[in-house]
Amino acid sequence: MTERSTKHATFTVERSFPAPPSRVFAAYADARSKARWFVGPDDWEKSNLKLDFKVGGRESVSGGPPGGPIHYYNAIYQDIVPDQRIVLTYEMHMDKTRISVSLGTTEFKPAGQGTKLIYTEQAVFLDGHDDAGSREQGTRGLFDNLGAMLEREPAKN
Amino acid sequence: MTVRNAKHATFTIERVYAATPARVFAAWANKDAKAAWAYCHEEWVPSVHTFDFRVGGREHVVTGPAGGTAHIFDAVYYDIVPDQRIVYAYDMHLDRRRISISLATVEFLAAAGGTRLVFTEQGVFLDGYDDVAGREEGTKIGLANLDQQLRQQRAA
Repeated sequence: MTERSTKHATFTVERSFPAPPSRVFAAYADARSKARWFVGPDDWEKSNLKLDFKVGGRESVSGGPPGGPIHYYNAIYQDIVPDQRIVLTYEMHMDKTRISVSLGTTEFKPAGQGTKLIYTEQAVFLDGHDDAGSREQGTRGLFDNLGAMLEREPAKN
Repeated sequence: MTVRNAKHATFTIERVYAATPARVFAAWANKDAKAAWAYCHEEWVPSVHTFDFRVGGREHVVTGPAGGTAHIFDAVYYDIVPDQRIVYAYDMHLDRRRISISLATVEFLAAAGGTRLVFTEQGVFLDGYDDVAGREEGTKIGLANLDQQLRQQRAA
């Protein structure tokens, strides 16, 4: 029988990007654009990202190391303010086990010619799986990907 | 133009109930039982309540003072472990204005004399509607109503 436990945590990541809020927001709102940065390590196998970017819409993607467990991400969009804010909830499964449920707030603020992005995740980690430290580290990796994409293509959507 | 901001907050409330975890869980899992305690204003009669208690299912409640602002609760159930745990996300609207989105964890732990319930809310309060203390107070009222309901069931 599974030993049940919960661990609650909150973390915040701030990044500055040399692109305007509309450009950074578009990297979230467009499925093809998001699929290019919202991905795990290069050697992971991955599914196609599905995105229905509207309040109440869903997003899903999965992936994992070759031969290893599959990580499933499933999100529901809760609040969208164009070029300014996105709030979603998401759950992660490792194979068939639900390991966490999270509330993620992304704020896009103009800063000079660019954007200050503030991401706040409030999460509950279930039954001893995962932890806030590795989740934050993984999230920072995604923002590294986003930053690299925006540097390569500062104006394009 | 609406000024946009987001205030994040977390609060935890613990209560001990003189009933088994199965009984306390049932008060969250059944529509009529939940409707009898879950609202912080006794005089507010919900005009709508739909309840689909399963993972991925939704709950929708419209309530509020007669002729006044509608308070709209929309939840989706993320995790249900019978008699042990419920995790759900919900948003609140006042009329058409979305004021908050929250992640709520309810844990039902066997304790001497009954059940220790641990309620944790992690929320983002939007655009100046940042009355976290009011949310916590309203939740405490609901959890006190639940105590009354469980006592009445035991006495009946």
